[in-house]
Amino acid sequence: MIKRLILALIGLLIAGAVQAAPLKIVATSTSMGALVREVAGTRAELTVLASPDRDLHQLQAKPSMMRALRGADLVVAIGAELEVGWLPVAIASAANARIQPGQPGYFEAAAQVDLLDVGGPADRALGDVHPVGNPHLDLDPVRMATVASALAERLAQLDPAGADAYRRAAAAFAERVGQRVDQWRTRLDGAPGVVLYHRDAIYLLQRFGVPLLGTIEAVPGVPPTGRQLSDLVATLKGRDGAILFAPYQSPQAPLKLAGDLGWRAERLSLEPPLDADGDGYLNHIGRWVDVIAAGR
Amino acid sequence: MYRPLLATAATAALLVPLAAFPASDSEIAELRSMLDQMKTQYERRIQDLESRLAKAERQSADTARAPAESQPMTAPGVGPVAAAPARQIASGLGALTSGSAFNPQLSVILDGNYYHDGIDGEGAALVGQAFQPSGGGHAHEHEGEAGHSHGSTVNGFNFREAELAFSATVDPYFDAAAYIAIDGDGNVHLEEGWFQTRGLPYGLRAKGGKFQSDFGYINKQHPHQWDFVDQNLAYLNLLGDHGIQDTGLQLTWLPDLPLYTLLGVEALQGNQEVFGATLDEAEQVELNLGHSRDGPRLWTAFAKIAPDLGQNHALQLGLSYAHATQHQEVQTHSHAHAGEEEGVELHENGLAGDADLWGVDLVYKYDGAGADGQGDFKFQTEYLRSIKDLSIRSSPHPEAIGSAREFTTDGLYAQAVYGFAPKWKAGLRYDVLGLTNEIGGGTRADYGSSDRWSVNVTWSLSEFSQLRAQYATNDILVAENARERFDAFYLQFLMSLGSHGSHTF
Repeated sequence: MIKRLILALIGLLIAGAVQAAPLKIVATSTSMGALVREVAGTRAELTVLASPDRDLHQLQAKPSMMRALRGADLVVAIGAELEVGWLPVAIASAANARIQPGQPGYFEAAAQVDLLDVGGPADRALGDVHPVGNPHLDLDPVRMATVASALAERLAQLDPAGADAYRRAAAAFAERVGQRVDQWRTRLDGAPGVVLYHRDAIYLLQRFGVPLLGTIEAVPGVPPTGRQLSDLVATLKGRDGAILFAPYQSPQAPLKLAGDLGWRAERLSLEPPLDADGDGYLNHIGRWVDVIAAGR
Repeated sequence: MYRPLLATAATAALLVPLAAFPASDSEIAELRSMLDQMKTQYERRIQDLESRLAKAERQSADTARAPAESQPMTAPGVGPVAAAPARQIASGLGALTSGSAFNPQLSVILDGNYYHDGIDGEGAALVGQAFQPSGGGHAHEHEGEAGHSHGSTVNGFNFREAELAFSATVDPYFDAAAYIAIDGDGNVHLEEGWFQTRGLPYGLRAKGGKFQSDFGYINKQHPHQWDFVDQNLAYLNLLGDHGIQDTGLQLTWLPDLPLYTLLGVEALQGNQEVFGATLDEAEQVELNLGHSRDGPRLWTAFAKIAPDLGQNHALQLGLSYAHATQHQEVQTHSHAHAGEEEGVELHENGLAGDADLWGVDLVYKYDGAGADGQGDFKFQTEYLRSIKDLSIRSSPHPEAIGSAREFTTDGLYAQAVYGFAPKWKAGLRYDVLGLTNEIGGGTRADYGSSDRWSVNVTWSLSEFSQLRAQYATNDILVAENARERFDAFYLQFLMSLGSHGSHTF
């Protein structure tokens, strides 16, 4: 009898401990943070490493990142070498065996879906190219729904007690994505197209069949010359479209192009706001859709 | 294809039991109609399945082929390759990289310059041989090593080094890296070759092999990572061209605290150029200094803390200590002959003992979040203090033998770099050696310090190439009462070939 009581007590303690200690999750970007909030909710304690106005490719490893990664149960990255400059260093310096690539504590969105721009010559004359594929998949809501369900599975593996909650949340998110995507498809039907600074929104364009009319930088990571810009103007003169660039991209060239073509140039972050959850993310995509739709 | 097969099988299956009974024509007709009915049902079901299969195939093909639709115009060469297989790691646990199947990550960094100073190219070597109470750089000279040195720069064109860097994860337990420098004359120098653990618990990491110590801040950086072409006076003169670069073991601990705190200790062999140097055997015998003791002869300990200051700011403070259990050096002094004979007589004293080195460092970075580093700011400063506790083991003046000498020299540098335009940075540095010059044991040292001001501009054309122009005005103490004042000018190129470098703090 006493034995049984003790066992029950121990069982309760363990259950209590499991519930009391949320998973410590570190997301590299706010889009990944939004997925974590959506799928894990209050079962996770979330830290986001980069604010939405930063270039995730250029960031430096900082001690505060290592501090956050030190006790993490899971790191959620966009991946495909987007964070290659700083995340591997930060993870190695964090001295946390659980979050090394290859461990269940390392989750990379790019490894869960098909990528665009895969292959291509590994030739730096073409700029900062990454033959592994274009990493900016987080602007495609449909791929993000797939990532959310893969994330739910990973969370279920790390915290089996919450498995049902994770899966339910991911399914609910996928459903909301489905609804919004249908609306957006109608809105973007016949959109004339956009000019990007960098090929960082191609997943969104491809999802809705919006033509990419050109990129301001001729090759990734190298600013355009005046000649390249005037060529772009010559090609696009008389057409409709919108110009989109990120906060960390130099506004000079986009604004000049907009002036020459009589288009709108809009500075839009690739990443949702710091506190975004699933809906915050979808509203962020909504802003992109609005700007692209206004291009006619 | 399998439709007729299925149908035949079904018919056969139905016919077998039928054959066992004699049947009337009407029954047969009824059965036949049933059979036909079943056949059409089957066919419909199979058609349904086939169409669902085709639909699924189409959908997955859409996702794979999709990029082609949205690209009336693409950047040259970066367009999608439809034939490329979708790369997906089966377990989804790993990191996607373009690392080449099982080869280590490889990069080559080319570092060369055009140099000119007003003293016939002596300046680049002189800044590493500033006069200080204890031998400093002179000990190195006496070793007579023709080894590779980052400072062997002459007026005109110089190829400083090609650094080959290899790094990889060895297995689930270890990471490893090798850095090999080849200078312009073809001398090969192993800068680093180490392994480091990946999976130790409690925030522990162990590193072994030849590596650059985590003492201080700039000690760990390779020349191409510096914000200035050359090393600061404090490091150059108190630690030598390579800093503390030695063979041994390192253990670091990152406790899980709210404040970033890194603690570490190192046990190193003690094969140093300046601090904790030992002379070669011939000289040890000649100068009665004793043999090099068994290693490890150099021990270090360091602590670094970094408060979390949000997205824009980062600050790190460090305190480091190194102790060399054996240090040997030769000090030369000259006696001018009075009267009839011309010339000077050079005297050599052999000294041995131990040595301590303290270091304090501070690094502050501001992330301006502008395009290509515009608005970024970095300030870094370090203070080093070296205390050598030696005694004279041999001397042309027999009365001096056995007497103790304590030499204290310090130095510091402070530098700031600011991104004034996209891809452009400007830097300013002040470095000084010998704010304190003390000789315990009777000799005064009040000859002042060596110092230098440097300014530079760096243009990073892309993440992989840099061009830099640097001007410095030097005031270097070359003897107790002699100074060299000169200007020095560098034009440097840095080219990074191969895999993407990391942006360390």
